[in-house]
Amino acid sequence: MKRHVWLAAMLCMAATGVQGQTARARLELRCEAVGAGPALECLVRVSTPKGQPVTGAQVALSATMPSMPMAHRVTPAVAVATGQPGEYRGALELEMAGVWAVQVDIDKPLRDRVVVRLQAEECPQGQARCVVQPAGGKP
Amino acid sequence: MQLEHAIGLATDIAILSLLALSVYLLLLVGRVSFGQQAFFGLGAYASGLATAIAQWPLGVALAAGALVGGVASAAVAWPTLRLPGLSYAIATLAFGEMSRVALLAWRWQVERGDTLVGPAGGDGFRDIRWLLENDVSPEFYLVICVAVLLAVMVLLACVERTRVGIALRTTGHDDTLAAAQGVPVSRLRLAAASAAGALAALGGGLYAHRATYVEPALFDPMLGVHAVGYALIGGLGSAFGPLLGVVFDLGVLDAAGVFQGWRMVAFGGVVALFLYWRPRGLLDEALVHRLQACARARRRRAPVSEAAG
Repeated sequence: MKRHVWLAAMLCMAATGVQGQTARARLELRCEAVGAGPALECLVRVSTPKGQPVTGAQVALSATMPSMPMAHRVTPAVAVATGQPGEYRGALELEMAGVWAVQVDIDKPLRDRVVVRLQAEECPQGQARCVVQPAGGKP
Repeated sequence: MQLEHAIGLATDIAILSLLALSVYLLLLVGRVSFGQQAFFGLGAYASGLATAIAQWPLGVALAAGALVGGVASAAVAWPTLRLPGLSYAIATLAFGEMSRVALLAWRWQVERGDTLVGPAGGDGFRDIRWLLENDVSPEFYLVICVAVLLAVMVLLACVERTRVGIALRTTGHDDTLAAAQGVPVSRLRLAAASAAGALAALGGGLYAHRATYVEPALFDPMLGVHAVGYALIGGLGSAFGPLLGVVFDLGVLDAAGVFQGWRMVAFGGVVALFLYWRPRGLLDEALVHRLQACARARRRRAPVSEAAG
């Protein structure tokens, strides 16, 4: 019992040590719905706070449904560089239509996480792809 | 990417287990709460404010969040102590919805650097960046979450072996009989509700820092109903039960990916089956007693066989 308490205390102490602050990334996210599900194809533009494109970053996309946190899990996807400076593209397979919080994780050279709420719906009949709109706060 | 996914899944299991344990604690004293998501949310907002605005260290912020959850839960439990179980369940559900709607209306943002930080109504509370600013890796955060969960489970297991633990279970089985035996039923229920609120809030604080973003929609009644489901599936025989329920849902139903959009239906079906076949869950009191008896018998046999050898 004593050993468990010490372990927890040591971990808490270790977690309170303040290290250097990380620089923040500026991020633009534009997603399109494709087919049923819907699947999302997202384009991420990453830049430094001064507006310079960030190349060679590791960018990952994932999503959760705010109405049921941690329950509707979408397998994270790596966003790969498109060739344009600071541009990355990745795809997510959503379980259902609705409000999704898309999480963009950036690692190296910056470390940041940005969450964008999107209203993901299947495209109207006759359209193969359509732009996914941001979701507003729901009552 | 698979490893990151597994680390994220394990962290979520640890966080949700704290919420499930808060429901478990109330079920032990014979109360069902559909409002534990409110304390989870209050803890998330309170500890998020503590690190993002007040710049407190994580450990202190989590403790502050747990305190807010504990006090809020006691404030809900105190006037509803004498209500029958169903009325208490409805009261907690009503409090959950009141809190969610209040958070939707709450805007209080402070300028920090070149950004505004703080709750912004339905747009949520962004930039809870303590882990990023302090370069805490997801792996290390998983260790922190698991350590917190283990500490809570060990503490609960220790309490359950004491007279207080026996009184908690007696109250849950029959509160009239417990009162006749001199158990202070009301005080015990108030203490259990307060501790349960603190546990849920602790989980909320850990969640807010993992996600960096929380919003009122996260604290929907679905989260509270799931927490009850986890405790009921896992079992009420030991503090290990709720963890088992969460592992079953997130680790088996979700990770298997067989059900896709039908997962919630599958989960609901499993809860219904358990309520019919095993109302006190997989790890119920009878099974725990059998396992303890087996362990005792093995311990008793061991010295005999050593002596014979």
